[in-house]
Amino acid sequence: MHSTGYCQALEKAAEIEVPARARFIRTIILELERIHSHLLWLGIAGHIIGFDTVLMQTWRIREPVMWLAEQITGNRKLYGMNIVGGVRRDIPEALHPKILEVMDQVEKETKAVLEAVVNDSTIRMRLEGVGKVPNSEAIAHSILGPSARGSGVAIDIRADHPYAAYAETGVNVIVETGEDIWARTVVRIKETLESVRIIRDALAMMPKGPIQAVIDKPIPPGRVGCSSVEAPRGETHHFVITSEEPRPYRWKARAPTFQNLQVVPLAILNETIADVPITVGSFDPCFSCTERVEAVDVRSGQVRVYRKKELEELSRAFTRRGR
Amino acid sequence: MFKGKIQEALICFAHPRVTLKYPFEPLEPPEGFRGRIAVEVERCIGCGGCANVCPSRLIRFYDEGDRTRMEFILDRCTYCGRCADVCPENAVTMTKEFETATDDLRDLYIVQELYMGTCNRCGRCFETENWIDKIPTRRHREGARFLGPATPHTEPIQEVRR
Repeated sequence: MHSTGYCQALEKAAEIEVPARARFIRTIILELERIHSHLLWLGIAGHIIGFDTVLMQTWRIREPVMWLAEQITGNRKLYGMNIVGGVRRDIPEALHPKILEVMDQVEKETKAVLEAVVNDSTIRMRLEGVGKVPNSEAIAHSILGPSARGSGVAIDIRADHPYAAYAETGVNVIVETGEDIWARTVVRIKETLESVRIIRDALAMMPKGPIQAVIDKPIPPGRVGCSSVEAPRGETHHFVITSEEPRPYRWKARAPTFQNLQVVPLAILNETIADVPITVGSFDPCFSCTERVEAVDVRSGQVRVYRKKELEELSRAFTRRGR
Repeated sequence: MFKGKIQEALICFAHPRVTLKYPFEPLEPPEGFRGRIAVEVERCIGCGGCANVCPSRLIRFYDEGDRTRMEFILDRCTYCGRCADVCPENAVTMTKEFETATDDLRDLYIVQELYMGTCNRCGRCFETENWIDKIPTRRHREGARFLGPATPHTEPIQEVRR
């Protein structure tokens, strides 16, 4: 996800044309990531509301997707698939039946879970009408991803500004108008099915050809590149300035969680304490993406700014602590 | 009202047990799995390509007179496998070993020293172009003395950093 964003930003900065096959492989990997992320979220949501059957069953459905990713890329989670100018590994013809088989299985089982969850009155009583984010507030706070789509805001980078091979496969943006946690849940389950559809189409449409662009000259310094990717949680933006070194001069990634969490105080207003965990959880927060630090001297109230060198030394001391 | 409950029960009954007996039965990762990196010193030419591409900069090369000192601090490794991709001599390879959990970080720390030719002008290390040039280098002499033929020209140093 982030590696795609970074590579796309750098490719835009250096004006590198990515081969079509590489774009399709990127799409397949991105959608595999979305499937497993949404199923993971569904399990955790079930766990938060104390319904561990959902956790066990969705994670069971998710596991073949992880094994498939391990076979395609060489790792369950840190795929390491992207490289500037393309992808590192091809998806061989021999793996196509296996991918389709796993997709059929995921589709069948996700549909069964969706049906069971929709008919389950306990889950609906727990999630319907709770953690409401009205459409106007969702737009005002500019929340992103499935959280926004559950409030009836039809935004999706894949459809609005297509990247990779989404222009070819097309994306049906799934929008629910319930504005509550239940709507966000249904958006995520339906998006899983949509991802299965996209992977099937991408596999069928995948052209033959090289998987890496030929980069024969060094990337010029001082160029600026920016790209947006639809992560499972929402939009991710990457901004890169190139330098003479083989590393970027400046790189900034913006993940969607910080943005989405701004609406939480509104969503938990007048709710019971028991509903707070699932309301926060319904935005699929990634708390490590949310960490911000400000060093304030308590006595004088002065804010201290750390220089790059000081931060480097701090982090080195942190790394060395175990040795 | 109970329709959903019955459907959930059916899903559960249809899949009795899927967990593996993993710690008791060995688990074989699939082909192409990227596990812990292995470094074969005999093949290394000290070019430093792996150190240059490593995203987390865990591979460091130090130029120390007639030898190059290489440090691999594997606890920072993200298993991307770029070092294995760029290595021209295939000295760095990805093994299938994934059980790298340890209670001592020194287990994940590799130090190697490689004797190389020294430039008469700037004093920096370089890899000689042919075997005849290699003869006056210390790598060749040490290799000939301790390791027999000149081909295995290196010696991993059992050193632990404090």
